[in-house]
Amino acid sequence: MIEALIGFGAVLVLVLLRMPIAFAMGLVGMVGYMHLNSFRGAVSMVARLIIDTAQNYGLSVVPLFILMGLFVNKGGLSRELYQVSFAFLGHLRGGLAMATICACAGFSAICGSSLATAATMSKVAMPQMRKYGYDDALSTASIAAGGTLGILIPPSVILVIYGLLTETSIGKLFIAGIIPGLIGVLFYLGAVFFTVARKPGSGPAGERTPWPERWAAVRGVAAVLLLFFLVIGGLYGALNFWPINLAFSPTEAAGMGAMGAFLIALARRSLSWRDTWQVLKEAAFTTATLFTVLIGAWVFSNFVNLAGLPEGLREMVTAYAVQPWVVMLFILAIYIALGCVFESLSMLLLTVPIFFPLVTGPVAEGGLGFDPVWFGIIVVVVTEISLITPPVGLNVFVLKGVVPDVTTGTIFRGVTPFWIADIFRLALLVLVPWLVMVLPNTM
Amino acid sequence: MSSLIRIAGVIALAPTALAVLALFAMMVMTFFDVVLRSTINTPIEAATELTRIMMAVVVFATLPVISARNDHIAVDLMDGYFKPAAARLRDAAIALICGAMLWWPAERVVVLAKRAESYGDVTEYLAIPQHYIAWFVAVFTYLTMAALIVRGLILIVEPRALEAAAPDGPAPEGRDD
Repeated sequence: MIEALIGFGAVLVLVLLRMPIAFAMGLVGMVGYMHLNSFRGAVSMVARLIIDTAQNYGLSVVPLFILMGLFVNKGGLSRELYQVSFAFLGHLRGGLAMATICACAGFSAICGSSLATAATMSKVAMPQMRKYGYDDALSTASIAAGGTLGILIPPSVILVIYGLLTETSIGKLFIAGIIPGLIGVLFYLGAVFFTVARKPGSGPAGERTPWPERWAAVRGVAAVLLLFFLVIGGLYGALNFWPINLAFSPTEAAGMGAMGAFLIALARRSLSWRDTWQVLKEAAFTTATLFTVLIGAWVFSNFVNLAGLPEGLREMVTAYAVQPWVVMLFILAIYIALGCVFESLSMLLLTVPIFFPLVTGPVAEGGLGFDPVWFGIIVVVVTEISLITPPVGLNVFVLKGVVPDVTTGTIFRGVTPFWIADIFRLALLVLVPWLVMVLPNTM
Repeated sequence: MSSLIRIAGVIALAPTALAVLALFAMMVMTFFDVVLRSTINTPIEAATELTRIMMAVVVFATLPVISARNDHIAVDLMDGYFKPAAARLRDAAIALICGAMLWWPAERVVVLAKRAESYGDVTEYLAIPQHYIAWFVAVFTYLTMAALIVRGLILIVEPRALEAAAPDGPAPEGRDD
């Protein structure tokens, strides 16, 4: 057990020295395994992982979902989503910020990355909110917070990584993300409502859009919405129209999504050869970086298991006879603390190998007996919170990059009600696990 | 030196193009597999094994390129605490260590590839020899190692050459979180 803790410390030091996280985990894992087993054993383990992961069928879901997001984005979806949301919400006080939240949620339904969602939406939503005289704190915060939904509403790259790392069903994880994602949207809308109620000048109402224009705006996003329902519906297995039965594995859903997005972009003539090359290249590069990180995490996780860390933690829990929910609260506190300094993927990779066996292990063996799907969603929600937590909430810095004249202090001030809304949502999902599990349990 | 790096950039187009083609093919094939299976109940039977092979190509063909470009996911929390010269030496050391640590696994991957070749295993539907993939992975693991070590050496010898031939554009957008 002590070896594992030393290893964990070593990874932290290397990562802070700017060693790529994949190599830091791989190096420490390999050396640690060598120490506990043998040089040959460690090298064989790593080589086996390299060859096997290279041909991992499950991993093919990653580039395909990334492709889907990139292709749809080339078609100008972000602007249209904003137009639709504005058409329905713009006339309310704080309506543009609410529209931003809804547009972010819509974008998350195609894109699996929070940073990309925040970066894309800020270019569309920020100029509008400035035009209507919105307070900088509210407008930047609504984008930063809305962007975090990217990793919870399916598809989600983080959930895929969690699924691959823990051998949890990616399809179930995606479906489980839907209700918590919608709760997130509602709570964020509440945060906007609260902000403008306290300070009416921060979000003046825009003009009302007449119904014909509203429907015209809906038509603009209809194709992409249809694509989303096809992909998620097929994944859930709900598209059974005899004689055609569309039931997809995650990889197939991603492939359908990517091809569909490609065809939509082609039909709109918004895709040049150059764009296509760029999009494919970006997806391939991103896949390779994620893949490296996965191998590193697996090597580290093998070492941690060999060192007996999961058993050690279980014995501690049994010895002190602590209630499972007390341990869970403790783990969540650790996540929120780590989230203050760590980027989301790094946090997931460093913590899941340590906590997963404890949290999901059977109660009879000293585990806490929680459901792996539920824990995945909780981890992602905590990760979302970390994206807007000072001092290194990454989404805040994405915003700062787009609107350099607003100080980070202002953005963090605006984010506070959203952050509180997130803590409420986390508490709700922990207290009522049914909200997470009701959909995946019917699959 | 910077012209050499530019030439390396041109050479890197080949594996990038290979990865791009593999990824595009994977997308089109998955789509038709699902469509054919759902409508006339005739899936592309080789789809799964082809996807595996294409995945290996997508990932490993790009690994040397992203390693040379320093596109790996890293945490830059402490960047403010290093002076430029110290940061350069730190980055050089890290690139060299990352490259060096790949030596033993790469050697082992070659052993596994040779073993696969001697067994003569082939894929289920198309009878593609398994060791082709293993050899591909082995070669590109070595190339990744080489890319990291060369990057580390250039950072020590002539760091300005790397800045002159800086990677085109910012890091990929749709990545990680």
